[in-house]
Amino acid sequence: MVSLTTLYEITFGGAILAFIAQHTIKQLRTFIVIVTSALGVYIVWRLPSQATDISFRLGDFQILWGVNEYSQLFALLIAVLGFFTLIYSIDFMKERERLGYFYMNFLIVIGGMYGIVYSQDLISLFFFWEIMTWSSFMLVIYCCDDAQSIGLKYFVFSAIGAYAMLTAIVLIWANLETTSLSVLFENFTNLSSGLQITVIVLFIVGFGVKSAMMPFHVWAPDAYAISPTPFTALFSGALSKMGIWGLGIVLLKLAAQSGFYVWVQDIVAWIGAITALLATFYAIVQTDAKKLLAYSSIGQLGYIIVGLAIGTPLSIMSALFLAMLHGIFKAMLFMSAGAVFYRTGSTDMNEVTGLIRKMPWTFLTALFGIITVAGVPPLGGFAAKWMLYEATIQSGHYFLVIVLFAASTAAFLYLYRFIFSLFLGQEEKEYADIKEAPLTMTVPMVIMALFTLVVGVFPGIFINPIGNAMGYFGNYTFNWDVSSLLNEWGNHVDMMTVVMTIGAIFIIAAIFITIKNYRTTRYVTTKDIHTSGEIPTENENLTYAVDFYKPFERAIAPVLKRSIDKTYNLIAENLESAFDFLRYVYTGNGQTYALYVVLFLAVLMVFAELIFGIQL
Amino acid sequence: MEINWSSVIGIVATPVIAFIVGVLYGGAVRKITARVQNRYGPPITQNLFDIIKLYSKKTAIQHGVMQHLGPVFAITASVTSLYFIPVIKDSPYFQNFSFNGDLIFLLYMMVFGSLGMALGAGQTGNPNSAIGVSRGLSQMVGYEIPFVLALVAIMIQFKTTSLNELLAVQDHFTNWIIFQSPLAFVAGILAFLGMMHYAPFDVVIAPAEIASGPPSEFGGKYLGLMMTSGSIFAFVKLVLFVDIFLGGASDFITLIIKTFLLYMIPVLTGIVSPRFRTEQSILFFWKWPTFIGILAIIVVVLNG
Repeated sequence: MVSLTTLYEITFGGAILAFIAQHTIKQLRTFIVIVTSALGVYIVWRLPSQATDISFRLGDFQILWGVNEYSQLFALLIAVLGFFTLIYSIDFMKERERLGYFYMNFLIVIGGMYGIVYSQDLISLFFFWEIMTWSSFMLVIYCCDDAQSIGLKYFVFSAIGAYAMLTAIVLIWANLETTSLSVLFENFTNLSSGLQITVIVLFIVGFGVKSAMMPFHVWAPDAYAISPTPFTALFSGALSKMGIWGLGIVLLKLAAQSGFYVWVQDIVAWIGAITALLATFYAIVQTDAKKLLAYSSIGQLGYIIVGLAIGTPLSIMSALFLAMLHGIFKAMLFMSAGAVFYRTGSTDMNEVTGLIRKMPWTFLTALFGIITVAGVPPLGGFAAKWMLYEATIQSGHYFLVIVLFAASTAAFLYLYRFIFSLFLGQEEKEYADIKEAPLTMTVPMVIMALFTLVVGVFPGIFINPIGNAMGYFGNYTFNWDVSSLLNEWGNHVDMMTVVMTIGAIFIIAAIFITIKNYRTTRYVTTKDIHTSGEIPTENENLTYAVDFYKPFERAIAPVLKRSIDKTYNLIAENLESAFDFLRYVYTGNGQTYALYVVLFLAVLMVFAELIFGIQL
Repeated sequence: MEINWSSVIGIVATPVIAFIVGVLYGGAVRKITARVQNRYGPPITQNLFDIIKLYSKKTAIQHGVMQHLGPVFAITASVTSLYFIPVIKDSPYFQNFSFNGDLIFLLYMMVFGSLGMALGAGQTGNPNSAIGVSRGLSQMVGYEIPFVLALVAIMIQFKTTSLNELLAVQDHFTNWIIFQSPLAFVAGILAFLGMMHYAPFDVVIAPAEIASGPPSEFGGKYLGLMMTSGSIFAFVKLVLFVDIFLGGASDFITLIIKTFLLYMIPVLTGIVSPRFRTEQSILFFWKWPTFIGILAIIVVVLNG
């Protein structure tokens, strides 16, 4: 018998036990962590059939936890990714210090995310949201020199999001006297239209920060790059999806009821598309593999936001499909970058090169990852991209789809750079003795890589559960075959035919070329190449990696010149001088503070009715 | 299960025909270029003999698995795209799988080969290959935008993404999409110049500059397979454009005439053009072709 309380008890209990074990019996720690996350997968899997809603009172607030198919979708992603990333972390984190701290926070993040998706009321949603934010902050500042400033940036933006959300919750409580989500959905139209739009905007800001929506994305590249890789995989794969989970609810449950829906849809969709395009441009000019993936992650979340905002059945399907798939392929890509880091100590794409023959399984994962991101058939990414484009065109967003296409074509650039710089190109002596990453790292990666292929052949294994999950938003029916995709004009793509054709031709051609060339060819090193008659000396550097896309950078120079990050830094500098002034207010004298408290209460009492509409 | 012999014949015959037509076109282009430059030029069958020669040669070296599979990726993409395009209108032999895919699928399928080739070229470690790939991918972002604009304009005008339905719309020559949506055709054909990689957009292989770029490390059977794939792929792109804009072809002679005339546009432009630098070529596509494409969509929306 499993229930939500068992899930929370096990996850948070496991977190504390792992911390204790680290300081008493170290050998137990890994065991506890793996068992906890494995139990998490099992419980989440069993929950829909067995769980009952849990409800209790906390002060004035009715707390309600329950399972629905929408949350179940995200919970499964969290559980599976959590399990895989923790297995991956066994060897990756072996040599590091403060592992108790690391694993405790890791499990708390997972628990916090379970809490968010299973919350049926705003209070526990906010509570778990803060747990997740705090513990992820702890992991962002886990290591490295500039952890302080990066952590601060992450925290400031998280705080902006959290307080936007808190304000919205307070407004709802003040006007509807409820914190229950279902009551809110029913009575949302009772709010005045001004309040409706305020609540919607505040929630969009709150969830938008976590899903790295522009202009709230600036924390993400640095925070993703600096956090330990097993956590980055979860960070980008699952944690950012909490923002998507919330945006889905805000856009499709709340905004859909308001009179501003068309406006909200268009604005959010355009923000999403511009996020996708600009993030892709920034990804192209990065030199650090993890930063590149971070920008890529922001871009992919942009697509998901577009899909949610458009709000047709096909676009919601594509958004949720991409959300699930993004969790998997971005984890794969971060893990392969992490495996490279584990062996070479660097993810700098100007430095590391030619690892394909040393780390074949990592390369395979990266290859499947980039093909999935690119949306090229036969892997799963194609289905998501296809549905998104068809939905965007058919809902009349003609220029939006051009931006999306531009972004996804430009994505080929950074994807190729990622795989070329790390794995292909010249094989340098420096990396001659590199070995493949240990099994605990390669096995989860390869399993996920194969899964993307399965999703490509049978998109139905995602489409059907997502179709059920969409029941949360209304009555949508998807009676598709397990391997076919269908748009609203009745055109379709049959993935089975596609994959069979690709597979057959690929195998025939591969057999042909292998048999014909197997005996005659011999392997030569990457130094032994055509150089127009000049013979390169032993130490001559033939690697082409620095400024890989210089011509493209020249073409998009006007875009790259402007950066919202610079604006924020300018604001921060000005704020710093402004805060100097605050020292006159915060005198450090207890009596002054007491006076402030009294003054504040007095103001509250006078204006309470005016501001919040409450009679004190 | 009953076997549909006409489709089986089609599946076998289509790539062969595509290859022969494509390879002869390649030879014809060399001949035409030579005549324009006041040379005699090779015979029209030269490319075919080159490929036969390459297949009969022993391949001496390779740089690893990814290079080995690069040409395989390329031919897979060419032949698969070919199968999803109706080559001859309403013919039971040449429909192949065209009812199981649509335009957006084709867009992505056609990239598959370039990506595979780029990966193969990447493993060779030749800096010229990498430079060529970097240029090719950058230029692709350039011409893909007007191309997609043109396609979107057509898709929303006829409310379909299926090639067969677009062919059905163009039942009479006055109904060809080139006449129904001329702006989309202009945007599309300008993008087509980039897709065919003739000058001024030949910065990818850039003869005499980066030693033919991505294919520079491929020899013997690898090169043979790549040239085969290239010939088929040229044919695929031509048939795709004929199907979209010129009403397809209901017999083989029409197909040859239409594709050949269409092919001459990039070829003849190329012969008299110098070479753009990469960023010039990207910015070229983002200016007039994009503007015309946007105009095409606006016109469709206004006509509603």
